[in-house]
This record gives sequence, C-alpha cells and structure tokens, in this order.
Amino acid sequence: MSSPILRVESLVKRYGGLLALGGVDLAVEAGEFRAIIGPNGAGKSTFFNTLTGLLRPDSGRVAFDGRDITGEPPHRVARRGVARTFQITSVFGDLSALENVQVALLAHARRSWSLWPRARALGAERAQELLALVGLAASAAKPAGTLAHGDQKRLELAIALAGEPRLLLLDEPTAGMAAQERLEAIRLVHRIARELGISCVFTEHDMAVVFAVATRITVMHQGRVLAEGTPAEVRARPEVQQVYLGETA
Amino acid sequence: MKARHAAPLLAAAAVLLALPSGLTDFWIFITVEVLAFALYAVSFNVLLGYGGMLSFGHAAFFGVGGYTAALFVKQSGLPPALAVACLPLAAMFVSAAAALVIGFFSVRRAGIYFAMLTFAFQMLLYTIALKATPLTGGDDGLTGLKPPGLLAQPLAYYYYTLALTGAGLYLLHRFVSSPFGHTLRALRANPLRVQYLGIDVRAHRLAAFVLSGAFAGLAGAIFALSNGNVFPGWLDWTASATPVVMAVLGGTASFLGPALGAAVYVVLEVLISGRTEYWPLAMGIIIVILVLLMPEGLTGLWRMGVVRRGARAAPLPTREAR
Repeated sequence: MSSPILRVESLVKRYGGLLALGGVDLAVEAGEFRAIIGPNGAGKSTFFNTLTGLLRPDSGRVAFDGRDITGEPPHRVARRGVARTFQITSVFGDLSALENVQVALLAHARRSWSLWPRARALGAERAQELLALVGLAASAAKPAGTLAHGDQKRLELAIALAGEPRLLLLDEPTAGMAAQERLEAIRLVHRIARELGISCVFTEHDMAVVFAVATRITVMHQGRVLAEGTPAEVRARPEVQQVYLGETA
Repeated sequence: MKARHAAPLLAAAAVLLALPSGLTDFWIFITVEVLAFALYAVSFNVLLGYGGMLSFGHAAFFGVGGYTAALFVKQSGLPPALAVACLPLAAMFVSAAAALVIGFFSVRRAGIYFAMLTFAFQMLLYTIALKATPLTGGDDGLTGLKPPGLLAQPLAYYYYTLALTGAGLYLLHRFVSSPFGHTLRALRANPLRVQYLGIDVRAHRLAAFVLSGAFAGLAGAIFALSNGNVFPGWLDWTASATPVVMAVLGGTASFLGPALGAAVYVVLEVLISGRTEYWPLAMGIIIVILVLLMPEGLTGLWRMGVVRRGARAAPLPTREAR
C-alpha cells in the first residue's frame, strides 16, 4: 500500500471566535479524482487556502507525498508540485493568454530570476501546446482579461499544468458557468488529469458534475468532514442527503 | 526590440549625437538634465508600470546617487580617468544598498502602505542629509562640484551623459523584457496567483526595487555633477512627486513613455519659469488636464490615435496599478 499523495490530519483554522476548520482529516491516494462537497460556508475554500499555505493553520498537519508541508508559504508548496485554481477566476489580465502560460513555465523552470534573455520566445512552443491542450490555441495572442469566463477558466488550467503538478486543487472549477458548459469543463480537466497522471481534488456545488467524474467524495459541513466514500456510498448516507443533497436537489 | 521601433530609435540616437552642434551651452545643460531625468523617470516606472508598486520616496535614491557623486569627486582622490569610470558604479552601488535596506521593509506591504513606507524612509534620509553636516554640508548642501578630468567640458559631459543614459535605458529595457520582467508584470496583474506558480513575491519585488533604485541613483549622480550642487531638498518628499508626474505625463504603459514625460516636463519648466514665477500653477493645470483627458499619458494618446485610425494594434492594456 503506497502512502497517500495528500494526507491532512486534524487541521484546525479559527477566525477569531469562528471555527472555520474544526479538525479536518483527509487522505487522497495518487490518481484519485476527489470531490469535496458541502454547503456554502462549510469551509471548503478555507481548507484549500490552509492546505496551500495562504492561511496558517492553528493546529494540525498537512503532508504532500509523505513530506510535512504544514505552514509552508504558497510558493514553496507550489514548487513541490501542488497547483491550484481559484473559485474567482484568477489569471494575469493584461498579459496575453500565451504570456500567462509562459510566465508559469518560466517560474517552473526556475528562470524567473534571469535578467538578460528575452522572454518573448522562451517556452512559447510549450505554452502554445498547453493552450491547445485546453482548447485555447486560437486565443493565444488575446489579453487574458478579454477572454470569456469559461475560457479564462481553461487558461487557469493551462497555467496550473505548466508547473507539471502532481496534485491539482481546483476550487469550484465550474463556478459561473452554464449547466452544459460545466460538464464539458470538468470532463476536460478529468481527461487531462488522467492522461498526465495528475491527482485532483476539487470542490463543487453541481451534483451532476460531481457524480460525472469523482472517484471518491468527501462531504464537509461546518468545518468538519461529515462523510466520505465512493459516490454510491455517499449518495446512500441519510445524513448527507439531509445536510446537502436534499437542499440542492 | 521590435523592427518597427528600430527606425525611430536610430533617428533619436542620431539627433541626440548631433544635437550639441546646434545648441548653446545653456541648452546642452538642459539636455543633460532631460537625459538624467529620463533615466530617473524610466527607472521609477519599472516599479510602477511593470511591478505595480507606487513608490512615494523615489527621490531618496536620486538624492543618494547625487550625494554619492558629490562626495566621490570631492573625496575619492582617484586619477580622473579612473574616477570617470568608477563614479557611475559608486553611485549605483550606494543607491542600490539604500534601496536594499528600504525595500527590505517596504515590499512587505502593498499599495498605499508601501507608498507610505517609502515616503517615511525618504524623510529619514532627508533628515540625515540635513543634519549630518560634516558629511553632507547640511542645509547648504555640497556645492562647487566639477566632473572629473575632461568631463569638465560641457560637450564632453553631454556625451558622457548620453552614453550612461543610453546604457542605463538599454539595460532596463533588457530587464523588463527578460523572464524577470515578465514575472514582474504577472506579479502586478495578480500577486495572489503568481505565488502559486512558485514565485516568491516579496523577493521579486525587492529585486525590482533595488534595480530601480540603482538606476535612479545613477540619474542623480549624472545630474549632480552637471548641476554642480546637491541639496537636501533633493531628498525632500515633494521631490518624489517629480518622477510620478513625469511617468504619468509620458504614459506608464510604455517603456519610454516616462522618458518623453521627463523631456516635456523639463523643457516646459525651463520655458515657463523663464517667463513667470507661476511654474507650479502651470504644472498643476497640465496635470489636471492630463489625468482627466488622457489617462494613458502622451504615449497613450499616440496609441489611441493608432487604434482610431483602424491600424492593427493591440488593445490598450488595462492598468490596475495607477
């Protein structure tokens, strides 16, 4: 039995008197496509932010690939091979789509400090390939800020992939999309992650999306893990239906 | 450098090389000032336009460069030929060191807090310049400065300035076009996202701050020896508005925009203050018109013209950091 790629033990995060994470445990095996579901305010985004060092946990432990990364700043976590996307789409608005990916490639190649070479052509070919992979080949020259919402989400994916991550955290990858677009978007991520052997953890509100791709599902509620299992198991749990599935059905 | 830029740049270089033959010593002196402030404004804009950091204490580095040059020619005792070569390096080194210390604390904050920190450190240096009389001459400043050796000739000093400014602008342009420069632009656009690429935001901001400070210091050194004097007022907080105005006047969205802004600013100041003592009034009116009517500055005006004429041009970049 290999050790999980991500292991979280009793992670606690407080905001003043509010307990945002009340001791979260999670183990994600390599190759999983894990969904985290839960009502708004369940602590999903806080969980991602605490995992990746944007927020410091009050207690608990995070291990990536067997190494303790608790409290490391985001840039260190990223260098270890953890990429993420954001609930509110987060690209480099006044750079072109191609430059967005190029910057990520340069950072991954540890070239962000080189002052002399001209960056224009560096990694352009690979960046173009990544754009093609997410279906944005034709938009390479457009400023990222002018792309349609769905295309910005794809661009975020290409940026994340540029770092050759082993674990990809997606915070509501289909937020703000139309229902049909959502399934397409998550299937794209799913296909690419399988091809490249990337493990994924994603948060999601749309149950159709979750059940379309998730290998396992973790249900969060009020900062705690309420249930975990295969999609069929989770669907069958009465307390899950009560807290979450029932509300959105 | 894009091919379409090559011709205008060569033309500008040719004009600048030939210029002194058609100018009086006074206008040669003014052109040196233009060049020094062009370098100053462009170095400032590497922070603002590329890094999204509005320094409100950039005069600190211009002033430190000026004082370093003054002390260098007064105290170093080097033979002139060596002094000519070492002077710019000394000024850049000392300003970079100042920028390293100030930046170390300032880049921990962004936006208005960053601006306030740079402002506060500049006032600290101003006080030192004012009170450390044995070193800085106190309120009187350091006067009677002469460039070393042959550079005492206005014409020689002009070409010295032209070479240093040209080299400085070239280096800065390479830096902003490099992977570091692209990282800086990404950082301005989205500091949160860039961390998740594995970029240490604080370290990159600090590096940009130090580079910018070093070239501002070089500009200060060039101007100090041309001017013949340095005063504590160079480090006063009002002096830090100068590069801001020049950069915004020329346009922060283009590399050479601030240089154009510097040229217009300096020449207008000479022309207007020669006729009336109300130069600041004129400047105020110009700034109001500028910000209301052409927020992208003079270079932005030109680019909007290109767009309106229907030529193929990239859309104007959106500027979050203004």
